[in-house]
Amino acid sequence: MRLFSESVKGFERLCVAVCGGLLVSTLVACGGENKKATDGPDFARQGDFPSTYVPQESAPVLIRGATVLTGTGEKLLNSDVLLKGGKIAKVGKDLKVPKKGLVVEGAGKWVTPGIIDVHSHLGDYPAPSIESSQDGNEMTSPNTAQVWAEHSVWTQDPQFPLALAGGVTTLQILPGSANLFGGRAVTLKNVPGRSVQDMKFPGAPYGLKMACGENPKRVYGGKGTLPSTRMGNVAGYREAWTAAAAYKEKWENFHENGGDEPERDLQLETLAGVLNGDILVHNHCYRGEEMAIMMDIARDYDFQISTFHHAVEAYKVADLLAENNVCAAMWADWWGFKHEAFDMTEANIAIVDQAKACAMIHSDSAVGIQHLNEETAKAMVAGQRAGFHIEPRHAVAWMTSNPAKALGIDEVTGTLEKGKMADVVVWSGNPFSVYSKADKVFIDGVLMYDRTDSARQPHTDFELGILDAEGERLPEGGQQ
Amino acid sequence: MRISMNVKTKLKVSLFSLACLVGTASAETILIKDAQIVTLGAQGTLDSGDLLVRDGQIAQIAEDLGDVPADLVIDGRGKVVTPGLIAPSSELGLTEIGAAASTNDGAIEEQSVGAGFDPVVAFNPRSTLIPFNRAGGLTRAVVLPYSNEKVFAGQGFAIKLTGDFDSVTKPNLVQRAYFGEYGAELAGGSRAMAYAQIANALAQAKEYSENRDQVRRGEWRELDYSVEDLESLQSLLRGEQPLMINADRASDILQLLALANKYQLKLVLVGAAEGWMVADQLAKARVPVVVDVLGNTPDAFEKLGARMDNAALLHDAGVTVAISGPGYAGSHNSYLSRQAAGNAVAYGLPFEEGVRAITANVAQTFGMDAGVLAPGNAAELVLWSGDPLEITSFAELVMIDGKPQSLVNRSTRLRDRYLSPKAGTEHGYKK
Repeated sequence: MRLFSESVKGFERLCVAVCGGLLVSTLVACGGENKKATDGPDFARQGDFPSTYVPQESAPVLIRGATVLTGTGEKLLNSDVLLKGGKIAKVGKDLKVPKKGLVVEGAGKWVTPGIIDVHSHLGDYPAPSIESSQDGNEMTSPNTAQVWAEHSVWTQDPQFPLALAGGVTTLQILPGSANLFGGRAVTLKNVPGRSVQDMKFPGAPYGLKMACGENPKRVYGGKGTLPSTRMGNVAGYREAWTAAAAYKEKWENFHENGGDEPERDLQLETLAGVLNGDILVHNHCYRGEEMAIMMDIARDYDFQISTFHHAVEAYKVADLLAENNVCAAMWADWWGFKHEAFDMTEANIAIVDQAKACAMIHSDSAVGIQHLNEETAKAMVAGQRAGFHIEPRHAVAWMTSNPAKALGIDEVTGTLEKGKMADVVVWSGNPFSVYSKADKVFIDGVLMYDRTDSARQPHTDFELGILDAEGERLPEGGQQ
Repeated sequence: MRISMNVKTKLKVSLFSLACLVGTASAETILIKDAQIVTLGAQGTLDSGDLLVRDGQIAQIAEDLGDVPADLVIDGRGKVVTPGLIAPSSELGLTEIGAAASTNDGAIEEQSVGAGFDPVVAFNPRSTLIPFNRAGGLTRAVVLPYSNEKVFAGQGFAIKLTGDFDSVTKPNLVQRAYFGEYGAELAGGSRAMAYAQIANALAQAKEYSENRDQVRRGEWRELDYSVEDLESLQSLLRGEQPLMINADRASDILQLLALANKYQLKLVLVGAAEGWMVADQLAKARVPVVVDVLGNTPDAFEKLGARMDNAALLHDAGVTVAISGPGYAGSHNSYLSRQAAGNAVAYGLPFEEGVRAITANVAQTFGMDAGVLAPGNAAELVLWSGDPLEITSFAELVMIDGKPQSLVNRSTRLRDRYLSPKAGTEHGYKK
């Protein structure tokens, strides 16, 4: 299920072997190499729109004397974090000050891995929200597995820098949930880009957005086509997976034995990419019953679901999630906007976590994404009030390492372990306080956001001259 | 577990068991000892103080009430008492599930009535939203209709979150209307038309009131609005009822100020994303503003100037700021006004003003007798586990009219049923 973990099938695993921990730029090349090295057809097509993101050269950074939540379950007091060559070089006490570079005094400050949001529509539903920018939901057929969310991303969405100021360094952009198969999701680094390729997380596997429940049946039932019921939804999934299995077999047969090249089908190609383990399923699904059914379908067709999204009832089936190695991405307390979101408990994340399933916070919101630390804090407290012993050093994983797992990038980011990408947030205080803010945000060791230095606060094209022809969209002090 | 109380015996109760108080005969006197008390009134904030509740009212607040006899004594050390939270904008009791039409009573379609729509009879005090929001510290709310067709949505009313059948405290509290982009959409495509419709309705309401008898006898020119609508606008014109109207763009706000001035309306402005740009004018006009603090994205062209420190800037200019729950979370999470206020404080609003914005300022804006802790006031308060604006704090005691309220709700019930989910049928028998 995960690109960089043992369970991965196909070329991404090789990619890790070749490139893991090396310079990002080689990861791209790696995709090409692996196409040859892999022993099956290339359904994921990682090379079609390859990442062009290359982090700037950066001097070393020493964050000194801070409280450090590593994302691996540790809380280190009065400790240092050294970033070098875009990677985490060392975490410990009294580290040597690098000759050249930036020293960040960490007294009173907390350090965490960069926040990762597995569920965002930034760029696909940008601000301002107007008719012509609603590019997130291809609501024309219940199966649009052939569309790719990255092809809708407006890189100049002013919501990206707002999320950065909230400490978000990586985010997955998903198609909407109108369709049973919404299309491919893409994982981005939260960096300014002229093209979406400039933002693509090098080597990250693609996601496939699927949706259970009310949305597909409402959208297509209203049009008088299948599905108009939940059972119609399930028939739609099974028909598609059946076709995808046949497609995959046809191509594998061609790959091994030659003969006439089968006709290429972009929709089935994406699904076949799931079946061979290269593409991760991200499944919008609220109800416990539906999650159980989706896991059975996955078993039937021999694929792995990475993560149930929204998962308001994940707590009801937390043991099943653990058994099936499926993550759940949840809100802290949203509920009631529809029937499948009615059975909310604030302890959802904590219960899933305590059942040893992989639990995480997610936003699905341009506002929520700016406050994922607060949302995690609420979920942590709800867990404590439920009687669980959950501390910040553990809960921080819900916004860092667990979403990294869900996205298949946990070998390269999501914790402060040596050799990982230097995606790091320096908080003004305990990140689980409403009063704390992300003071500095590093992505691959580069200072991408500095609250005290307006020169290190990115602005999108949209913001220039928009409210004041000569000045900023927001004058001094108005930044985020 | 329940505690039976001997009214003659002083009982010290740990906070753990506060939930158990509910449903017992309510104590006549309750003493909260050694808590920080944010009164928002003449007594300011007591770093450590005692608060005595007698017969549903606050009897005394002082640094040390000594050994004053009380039926129930609550140890408030490390805790904070504030007035109960008041939601300035909600649909509590008018909605159960957003996408379930049969559970929604907040708006009407294809009806002639607009301003005269009064949903108060549809209010359901047994809605699941009420105990949930109450557990979050919300004790009162303004409940509003909304509109999909007309610039006037109708009458809002005020409630207490007791869940009692008689918990509407004031019907016909406000008139709800829309300006800005949404108003324009409702009015046929232009702000100018939304403005004209509002102005026209007010002018005709005035005309109606001056010629009521002729209009009713059919001896007057035909007016564009039903008698019901025109009647409902009278209290606006008399300045008795505020017009609660949304606008975000600075220029829209100024247009509303001019309109209000012309008709001598009492305005309550909702949204005001660019309010900071015209804060002085708002202050001068004494127009209170309901702010969605977390709504800092420029997600509409009318909100290009949206920013996190809007509440602080408005307050600095002398505007009365009320803070609502985050717009994206909706009525179901109205109590999250507390998180929003915490963020406002993180972005420059003084702490006490943050608390005020979710309590006293809301009460003041809507003329409610609440929001301040003072002797003689109804005991409507919350005891928080810590800093009341901190995200990790929670309500340990919610009191309305001196009665500790239940903090149990569907969320806690479901939690307790599924604390450790496992296979089998037993969960179905867990209550």
